[in-house]
Amino acid sequence: MRSTRIAVALILGLTLILAGAQAAAAKERLIIYTSMKESLIGGIVEGFNKLHPDVAVDYQSAGAGKLMAKIAAERESGKVLADIIWTSEVPDFYSMKQEGILEKYETPLIKEILNPFDDYDGHFTAARLGTLGIAINTDLIKTPPAQWSDLFKPEYKGAFGIADPALSGTSYMSVALLEKQFGWEFFDKLRANEARIGKGSGQVVDDTASGELAASLAVDYITNDKIARGAHIALYYPPELLMAPSPIAIFKGSPNIEAAKKFVDYLLSEEAQTLIAGEGTLSVRTDVKNPPQFMLPDASDILNRAIKIDYIQMMASKEALIKKFTDTLQGRK
Amino acid sequence: MSGISRKRGFGAAQIILFLSIAILVVVVAVPVLLIFFNAFWVNGTFNVRDVLRIIGEPDTWQALVNSLIIAAGTTIGSTIVGTFFAWLVTRTDLPCRRFMKGMFMVPFMLPSFIGALAWKMLLSPRAGFINRFFMVHFGLSGPIFNIYSYAGIMLVEVMYLFPFVFIQVCGALERMDPTLEESARISGAGLFTITRKITIPLVLPSILSGALLIMLYSMAHFGTVAVLGIENGIFNIPTLIYQRIHQSAGSFASIRTGTVLATVLVVTAAFIIWLQGKILSKGHYQIIAGKSFRPMELKLRALRLPLFLFCTVWIGFTILLPTAVIFLVGGLKTYGLAFTWENLSLDNYKFILFRYRVTRDAIWNSVTLGLAAALITMFAGVMISWVIVKMKVRGKGILEFLGMLPFSVPGSVIALGVILAWSGKYGVNLYNTVWIILVAYIARYMAFSLRANSAALEQVHDSLVEAARVSGATMWQALKDIVLPLVRPGMLAAFFLIFLPALRELTVSIMLYAPTTRTIGVAIYTLNEDGETVMSAALAGIALIIIVTGQLLVDRFIGRKNAG
Repeated sequence: MRSTRIAVALILGLTLILAGAQAAAAKERLIIYTSMKESLIGGIVEGFNKLHPDVAVDYQSAGAGKLMAKIAAERESGKVLADIIWTSEVPDFYSMKQEGILEKYETPLIKEILNPFDDYDGHFTAARLGTLGIAINTDLIKTPPAQWSDLFKPEYKGAFGIADPALSGTSYMSVALLEKQFGWEFFDKLRANEARIGKGSGQVVDDTASGELAASLAVDYITNDKIARGAHIALYYPPELLMAPSPIAIFKGSPNIEAAKKFVDYLLSEEAQTLIAGEGTLSVRTDVKNPPQFMLPDASDILNRAIKIDYIQMMASKEALIKKFTDTLQGRK
Repeated sequence: MSGISRKRGFGAAQIILFLSIAILVVVVAVPVLLIFFNAFWVNGTFNVRDVLRIIGEPDTWQALVNSLIIAAGTTIGSTIVGTFFAWLVTRTDLPCRRFMKGMFMVPFMLPSFIGALAWKMLLSPRAGFINRFFMVHFGLSGPIFNIYSYAGIMLVEVMYLFPFVFIQVCGALERMDPTLEESARISGAGLFTITRKITIPLVLPSILSGALLIMLYSMAHFGTVAVLGIENGIFNIPTLIYQRIHQSAGSFASIRTGTVLATVLVVTAAFIIWLQGKILSKGHYQIIAGKSFRPMELKLRALRLPLFLFCTVWIGFTILLPTAVIFLVGGLKTYGLAFTWENLSLDNYKFILFRYRVTRDAIWNSVTLGLAAALITMFAGVMISWVIVKMKVRGKGILEFLGMLPFSVPGSVIALGVILAWSGKYGVNLYNTVWIILVAYIARYMAFSLRANSAALEQVHDSLVEAARVSGATMWQALKDIVLPLVRPGMLAAFFLIFLPALRELTVSIMLYAPTTRTIGVAIYTLNEDGETVMSAALAGIALIIIVTGQLLVDRFIGRKNAG
């Protein structure tokens, strides 16, 4: 029974390896849940590590909906793993604040940044101003869109995609903003032009690059990252601007509060904000300039141009809004 | 003397029985029961009305119907394909049979959701390479085949699931005592009669057992439907649970909805298992009986070449083409560019292997988790199967049901059950560690191990153990020297059936992963979901290399051991 003995030894060995991996992971770590993609969060964490080599940082990058699901499951189990959350789904932050699971931290840097929240009280701080526009596949669409109503034109028929608002925070924000500005009629007309619901906010842009979609509702830095890698796409902003601030917050009861505060301050610093601007999305700092190749709207102008919405009201109607949107676009209402 | 050894044997049996029950209760029953508990028990009261309301909703009903349609189509298709190919490579003079047999096992290694990704690249309606080729070169206005459809989902599932039947039927045909067929032939029966009266009844349990595996697997299958169905609004129960839970941001109400939906699947699966028991109990065969000869071969004659070509084309389309697409897309700078030399490089592969910690962690986690889960489950499985198949004790049906249960519960719900059970409420907190994934894997793959081991044990005639016992061997000795060597092929089969799927597992780990405990499947899926198609293709390519290498190493190991 040599094989049995080998197998038993293998099991023991593996168990030790797994246990070792766990022990290594048990060292103090800052854990960040974020909806920012690798291209954005990767560089920031790298920069933070250079400045604070004593703090190990792990991050989980996923859609805001998924992260909130994970947090809910973790709360159910008694402990939220993450120390920090950074997504673009603003109403989530209001509801987390209401439920009392966020640590209040009034960063000294608040005076230096553009603050889109009139009711700022330190529970969460905007760390990026995300914009969404229309990304087109330049092989398929020759005339750039100038108005949101251009999406009802025949060249977009069956080939315009919006990320699933249940998965993507930016998509949910956009749907709410567009509904606020244009009413449900807007989505009825999109349905009439056979617009499609994609999956995540990254996937609709990738589908646009591949030609599966001719155009999509696209997040700035995701699109700009693909353009930089040679994708045949371009991003255009109609006058009614979709802007979703990305707040960052610290969880109450985090064992690494001080490290978490350091990260928040680093994220708002000129260095990190320059990285953010360098990826093709808007910085919250007025002293950080947008690289010209991205053709982003002007940062100081953006708070005026953006469609306004009441985040606290949004909180209550989230599920209903997503359901109505899905039913409308899938023709099930 | 005989009295003492008998008593000791009884003691061993007792221990085995107790251990089997304990393992299944702790690993399988508790999480599943917690799912039922959470489905039916709301705020301290028993609530059935809510459960019925959820099942009656049009979305839920449609998802249930979809699950059944997809599972039925996949099962029928896979059974036909799997049985036909098994017969071709074991009973005919098809050229290169050994090679073909190896190739037909390959799809079993390929994760079906990677297959779905590849076919999405090939056959998505507007951008799919095949569709675009026909639209550009033959002036077609629309796609020749839209993969985002029921037919597309079933096609992809058949391609990657048919080996479940193929392996089982090949095994049965190879092990079958050819003297049975020979006696029929000597008695004057024609090939058709022999096939109908001898061969088919003898391999039917294997066909049914493989078909049942596919039915249960497909019904609870997440990956393919998630990749190909969701966009067109085709949901089956697992994808609906996934969507519901994410839609409501994981509020407890939606976790409950998930548990209710899972309950529907569990009930359906219990029905299928009951049905299988009914069918199989009609005829029970122990077909290994000591000696064996080479079975006769059917001369294919004029059909030899066409069938060979058919097999080659099938292999080309299910294995080579998707693999090539995965590797090529993995080399692109960004998705949507043409396959020209200036657009292709190894940069993505280098990034994933050396620079990107997420993917490096994922590869390490998947390999260690897969090995640990496969070995633990293999040994536990052979023990439990022995209780189920060979021991005459009351209530062992419950053991079989418990062991098969995780099959019918979608991975995401096993994951929920495991979270409910192992996150500190009952004293043990494994949440956000690799251990919780390991526990979930053991629960999930126990059914694989039980199937393979039971099938092997069923063919070991009781007379062999009885002979050993009569000759004075203890129960342990009989098990060690007679049964274990005979069921070793079953155990190895169990190892394969667990290790390779666990290596690319997605459904369970996606619900349980923490930042440092991503698996390969999670990393590929999340990269794809993030729209990093080229990165996910590159990682999928690397995963394929790891999986194939793992398979070759295991094959070598076994080959050497058999020789020595």
